[in-house]
Amino acid sequence: MKTKIKEKKQIKEIKKTYSELDAVGKNLNRIDGWEKITAAAKYTDDLEFGPALLYAAIVESPYAFAKIKKIDTSEAVKLDGVVRVVTGKDFPYKFGLYMKDRYVFARDVVRFVGEQVAAVVAKTPEIALKAASLVKVDYEEMTPVLDPVKALEKNSPLVHKDLKNYPHVPWFFPKPDTNIAHWRKTRKGDWEKGFKEADVVFEDTYYVPRYAHCAIEPHSVIGLYDDSGRLTMWTSSQSPFTQRNVFVGALEPFGIKHKDIRVISTYIGGGFGGKAGVSMEIIGAALAVSCKGRPIKVLWNRAQEFYNTYQRQGVVTKIKMGVKKDGKITALEYTLYWDAGAYVEYGANVVNAAGLSSSGPYRIDNLKIDSMCIYTNLPPGGPYRGFGYSEFLFGLESHIDRIAEKINMDPVKFRKINAIKEGDTLPYGAHMNPTGIQEAIDKVSKEIRWGVKEKSKDKNKEIGKSVVCFWKSPAMPPNASSSAFIKFNEDGSLNILVSGMEIGQGLLTVMAQIASEILKVPISKIRVETPDTDRNPYEWQTVGSHVTWGCGNAVKRAAIDAREKIFDLVQRVYCLDRSDLYLEDESVRCKTNPNFKLKFSDFVINGIQAEDHTFKGGPIMGVGMFMPEFASAIGDPETGQGGHPNVHYTTGAAGVILEIDKETGKMKIKKAVLAVDCGKAINPDLVKGQIVGGMLQGFATVLYEDMRFDQNGRLLNPNFSDYKIPTAKDMPEEVVPIIVETPQPDGPFGARGVGEHTMIPCAPLIANAVYNALGVRIKSMPVTKEKVALSLLKEKKS
Amino acid sequence: MPIIAEYEYLKVKSMEEALKIKSEYGNKAKVIAGGTDLIPLLKENYIRPEILIDLKGLKEIYEIKIKNNFIRIGAGVTFADIIKSKTIKKYFPILWEASMTVASVGVRNRATVAGNICSAVPCADSAGPLLVYNADLIVVSEKGERKIKIEDWFTGPKKTSLNEDEILLFIDIPILKNKNAGCYLKLSRYEGEDLAQGSLTILKTGEEYKIAFGSLGPTPKRAYKTEEYLKGKKINDNVVSHVQKIIVDEISPITDIRATKEYREHMAKVMIKRGIEKTISRYYNGKPKYGEGMIE
Repeated sequence: MKTKIKEKKQIKEIKKTYSELDAVGKNLNRIDGWEKITAAAKYTDDLEFGPALLYAAIVESPYAFAKIKKIDTSEAVKLDGVVRVVTGKDFPYKFGLYMKDRYVFARDVVRFVGEQVAAVVAKTPEIALKAASLVKVDYEEMTPVLDPVKALEKNSPLVHKDLKNYPHVPWFFPKPDTNIAHWRKTRKGDWEKGFKEADVVFEDTYYVPRYAHCAIEPHSVIGLYDDSGRLTMWTSSQSPFTQRNVFVGALEPFGIKHKDIRVISTYIGGGFGGKAGVSMEIIGAALAVSCKGRPIKVLWNRAQEFYNTYQRQGVVTKIKMGVKKDGKITALEYTLYWDAGAYVEYGANVVNAAGLSSSGPYRIDNLKIDSMCIYTNLPPGGPYRGFGYSEFLFGLESHIDRIAEKINMDPVKFRKINAIKEGDTLPYGAHMNPTGIQEAIDKVSKEIRWGVKEKSKDKNKEIGKSVVCFWKSPAMPPNASSSAFIKFNEDGSLNILVSGMEIGQGLLTVMAQIASEILKVPISKIRVETPDTDRNPYEWQTVGSHVTWGCGNAVKRAAIDAREKIFDLVQRVYCLDRSDLYLEDESVRCKTNPNFKLKFSDFVINGIQAEDHTFKGGPIMGVGMFMPEFASAIGDPETGQGGHPNVHYTTGAAGVILEIDKETGKMKIKKAVLAVDCGKAINPDLVKGQIVGGMLQGFATVLYEDMRFDQNGRLLNPNFSDYKIPTAKDMPEEVVPIIVETPQPDGPFGARGVGEHTMIPCAPLIANAVYNALGVRIKSMPVTKEKVALSLLKEKKS
Repeated sequence: MPIIAEYEYLKVKSMEEALKIKSEYGNKAKVIAGGTDLIPLLKENYIRPEILIDLKGLKEIYEIKIKNNFIRIGAGVTFADIIKSKTIKKYFPILWEASMTVASVGVRNRATVAGNICSAVPCADSAGPLLVYNADLIVVSEKGERKIKIEDWFTGPKKTSLNEDEILLFIDIPILKNKNAGCYLKLSRYEGEDLAQGSLTILKTGEEYKIAFGSLGPTPKRAYKTEEYLKGKKINDNVVSHVQKIIVDEISPITDIRATKEYREHMAKVMIKRGIEKTISRYYNGKPKYGEGMIE
């Protein structure tokens, strides 16, 4: 209770400062805009390395599950222009982010179609490819595990027989001698009793397939291991520091230490989670180490981008929910069978995140969640915008509409009754942060005219509406931290060094706005660039929609640190009381002496000249770091109770007006609305950009995107001919972004994360609007027009 | 993505030169004009020709020319050329309409109509219009020239009646003397560029209908039974519901990654109904304009 009062006070104080803000909360132009528009911005594949550059091609497994009997590289090595051929034998060390479960190249066993078995390094890409086709690999095929539910059967083959020996983080619970790599159990209250108390208990199963990120820029990496033993990696990455750490994990046996590896991240052409952690980059690092002195480029083609990076995991979700007639949810049992793929070194944490939060943004006193990370012989699953939340929300929010109908209650009213409030107990026992979810639901409902039935002008078409809620927390280790340096230049301009990545979301601009606010330097005089692990301070990763919050806090602290150093100096030289000093218009001012004005450009590098002609001070720099010191990942393995794994939840609501052709099933989104409580929008235009982009990406996953595999585990559509991503023509007719601001007490200026949240509600929005319009319920994603038309046809026949 | 296959490349200066190589190499020589189908096949290493014959240097392949009673489209004419051509829009508006649905602007700037039917995939967008307009295909070899009717052209998925030593040089389409109207309906998965899940082309001249379908069987094909049934009939709900049954019998769709057999059959019915409505509306009222109102 004390914390709640303290938080309320903090919120009040934060809000008080809003009227005085100069930079935060303003729609300032992106600081990387000109660089990108003029094509001055460089991406990894743009970097020039001269004629010494070598190219790699990969020998890939044609089987989903097979033993490697023999690899014959003799023919490949002979080809003119080939520099080296490497196989798993050269790299006998496992790597992984949260669980060390894979090798750089498959050794003994291949576990998915497309897995790297060997690589050829050659003078040209053509020679490398040709040589790769000359590597002969003898396999002994085994029966692949392709279905996560069947993978749990007693007689199922085991994808990893050695699971018990894999090192992993303490919050994972693998079940040796099964295909369960991690089982997150969350238990709260008495769910059996809750079901007994319910007036209606309803259960069903929902299916979510795999998805690909489809960043426009494919993964690419250039590695150079120089003669002095220094490894430099240029990567298209969301996580330079985490990459460095994982590289060390795999290459330490070669005598390579953290200080020896330098990861330089250029601009990246989209990440969406797919460029977090380490996927194909490990190959670049390994090949560089194998060919000392020559830079080596590994560039993924579009097909590899689909089948050998990370994929969004598929999931089968079983929900049982109990409700009272008055709308109160009395109990929830939610079991999620995740098709996590061949390696789960990152994907298991997606499963973990979902297992902690599958209640959705609702207060449910009695619940039992089982989130199972199941090995299959499909490509490795991993992070994808939403990190498991889109997946569980499809079933949950579909189910809520259905159960509300069973008790004859308006589904929006149902959500308002159950929506989580500040201070409510979360599934794992900690308490909910401040949230504006009620305001979000109200604003969205109003915007789509909820409750007003609309008719299409076309007799073939019906109009449906829906409103759903969402929430998400950053999924990160409890000690994931951020840090920042701020350096002043002679003219009073600033360089900010952070290792948060600009992945299109506008991080560089937002960091500049935060520093600008504290130091009163306009953002036109602030430069923030993409990271280099040698020069820039530490950032865990740019994932989980946490960098505005985490890295923003670090920048704010660095700016305050610089400001305090300025005040120290001015107090020392001018004998002014530091409590009277303040910054304004790139200068130091004094409340008690209105005539005092010391411009930054007069002293931030060369100091202040004292009366005795000596100089005091020196280059002003600020240092800031941030770690959520209240977080803990350790709870009871059987209940999940006791820890504080999630730092906060961002909540919101979304709605659509959907027009559907009853014959063709074709759907047109007439209006899409999303209200998100981002605490404080540091740059409202950028937040709106996230809402528009996120919704378009989300709608694509529900309307037409879909990864298809054949019965041998081979991906059938690793291309844009048959894996469709939206074009400009596929935009909803209207998107209304709504910003709700209930400040986050520990966020910079009250901000909390927003990037992923904007795509999470899209799938149930469409499924529920289809039901609202036509009375047909589609329980498997994607909800294509084909499924809609055929379901309607089936309904008519029966 | 680099091409690793090794082959000779020859940009020919005359058709004779091209035909000589064709007669010598047969299928081991591939002809390239637009290259939008060929180059991806080379990149994927699906084909390994010994020689590529580039026709792009030949002036005669670029013409869209009105002859006596037909219009001649050269092998180098791209979909972008078709869309820009007032002649095509005036005489063969359905071909014009279908061309607008081919891939994207960038691809249409390179892809040729001749290449589209030489690739002969079931979803070729130009096939339906050429079928209903009764196009003739002029193919040449060292032995001389021959004319193949479009309805005899498609012999299987990605197969045509073109011989190994022949090159498709012109597409001749007879000019219709009577009033006519029609439409090209393309079913696709989203609003962006797509390969047809199913397509239907309808042409009405007087009391006669010509109908062709794509992606609803192994090859693009005319629906003769459907045409026969519609001949001279006044269109009403009964006729439409009967014609829906006939068209489903005439097509032979499969389930593949783009759609199920079931949906294709269902949509064939929807398309024939809407296609007839649209054709009649265009025939009598000139609305909707060509290029407007696909499968709404």
